[in-house]
Amino acid sequence: MFFSPSLVPPSHNIVVNGKECINFASFNFLGLLDNPRLKAAALASLKKCGVGTCGPRGFYGTFDVHLDLEDRLAKFMKTEEAIIYSYGFATIASAIPAYSKRGDIVFVDKAACFAIQKGLQASRSDIKLFNHNDMDDLQRLLKEQEIEDQKNPRKARVTRRFIVVEGLYMNTGTICPLPELVKLKYRYKARIFLEESLSFGVLGEHGRGVTEHFGIDIDDIDLISANMENSLASIGGFCCGRSFVIDHQRLSGQGYCFSASLPPLLAAAAIEALNIMEENPGIFAVLKEKCKRIHKALQGISGLKVVGESISPAFHLQLEESTGCRERDVKLLQEIVTQCMDRGIALTLARYLEKEEKYLPPPSIRVVVTVEQTEEELEKAATTISKVAQTVLL
Amino acid sequence: MGGGDADSASPIGRAQMGRGRCFLETAGVEASAAPQAGRASEAGRMNVGVAHSEVNPNTRVMNSRGIWLAYIILVGLLHVVLLSIPFFSIPVVWTLTNVIHNLAMYVFLHTVKGTPFETPDQGKARLLTHWEQMDYGLQFTSSRKFLSISPIVLYLLASFYTKYDAAHFLINTASLLSVLLPKLPQFHGVRLFGINKY
Repeated sequence: MFFSPSLVPPSHNIVVNGKECINFASFNFLGLLDNPRLKAAALASLKKCGVGTCGPRGFYGTFDVHLDLEDRLAKFMKTEEAIIYSYGFATIASAIPAYSKRGDIVFVDKAACFAIQKGLQASRSDIKLFNHNDMDDLQRLLKEQEIEDQKNPRKARVTRRFIVVEGLYMNTGTICPLPELVKLKYRYKARIFLEESLSFGVLGEHGRGVTEHFGIDIDDIDLISANMENSLASIGGFCCGRSFVIDHQRLSGQGYCFSASLPPLLAAAAIEALNIMEENPGIFAVLKEKCKRIHKALQGISGLKVVGESISPAFHLQLEESTGCRERDVKLLQEIVTQCMDRGIALTLARYLEKEEKYLPPPSIRVVVTVEQTEEELEKAATTISKVAQTVLL
Repeated sequence: MGGGDADSASPIGRAQMGRGRCFLETAGVEASAAPQAGRASEAGRMNVGVAHSEVNPNTRVMNSRGIWLAYIILVGLLHVVLLSIPFFSIPVVWTLTNVIHNLAMYVFLHTVKGTPFETPDQGKARLLTHWEQMDYGLQFTSSRKFLSISPIVLYLLASFYTKYDAAHFLINTASLLSVLLPKLPQFHGVRLFGINKY
């Protein structure tokens, strides 16, 4: 179903098909998409630098805002260095093949997002998938690999091993068990690549992501990759980690070397968003409260089950019993979405490239909680969804 | 044959007639459609430091401009240095030239694997020797023919100058075999007993 787009940013209130709705579909976790400070910073940068950079980072496309943003991100995440990409999808899809080549082994979660899958495909490495958030399964795979390594130590010496996980999974709304992963990392000598697109600016006391959430030393994670299109309300992505690791991407990251760099107005907006995040660290606790509230409110709906952690701002509503056919499931959920939209709650189905995904998740409605939604709006959303679900599914 | 006899034409003429000026491709043509050494692909024209779209520059090194001549001069230099050592007789010098040349060729072409630089091929050439990387694995290109024939020429010269003495014959033949067998297309990618596999 195609909803005619409106020329207004997808902020708190949007107009869909002529109807005013509250936005529960855009990943605008901190509500910064319509923030006047960000807009002012972007406009000032627009007046100073123009719109585009007309070049990749290595060929006259580096502006002072890029260096500033990298510096700020590195300081915020308390790592040595950060590197900026101009497109969020391309960030992790360029980072993985920069380090993992043919003959290397990557252990990935089955629920990894599409960008990770494309990065793995581009890397030509051996992929070993483990069940979602199942550390026993991962340990089994790592043990098998260890036995193989002992059989052929020469080959093992030239093989690199990686574990790729997401902080907050987009397809399931769950958080990865990072402490166990770090233990496994040191035991089986693999490098961890953490994809924090949804958890950056959401989890942790100051919004630093899942490492702060679990209290893990950031030096234990070899590479953190995130996109700036969710919490930071900009475009693009970044990777951060030790200089030794990040510097490699300046020549080997395909998306960094061969794409035009981030427009400076978006970089300026991202810097302003970081300022806002650092000034009021209280919004993260507020967001967590709102997530817990709506999670509880949506628990009792008959026919729909909530998939995701209670503190996850992006979670899924799946059908409790599937009709057996994916298309019929999608139709039912789409009906729910349309009726909710008629009543002023904008939702969306989680969309996938069904033929391209490795492990296609079941069809679901993705609900996104933002800081800007008031408690009445959360209540209204919960009651609307439950009423619509009752009429559609029964 | 172009590259082999360096004694005939003047070196300047040889170099100008040499690599890079011809646009005909010999790669893939088994028969001797390349009477001259000069039938090179465009890589002969690739200069140092220019932008290029070659995924693995290692594959074009042996086709580049002047490298055959440099190779011949290097072998000649080795021979002259060995000749200047007073206590080696002529047969010994020739056998030594042959053996040292074949040893160096074995190490650089058939032992050392991968590339000294990062390549955008996601590690396809990481486990391949230089011989296997040459021309992306295409067999019977002119560089491969040149590098196969040069140890044979050295062998013939060494056999002549050692007066076909038995001991020298054994050493030279063994050395020649060690450097000719890995060049056979049947041995492409073969690692005997898992030696040098990773």
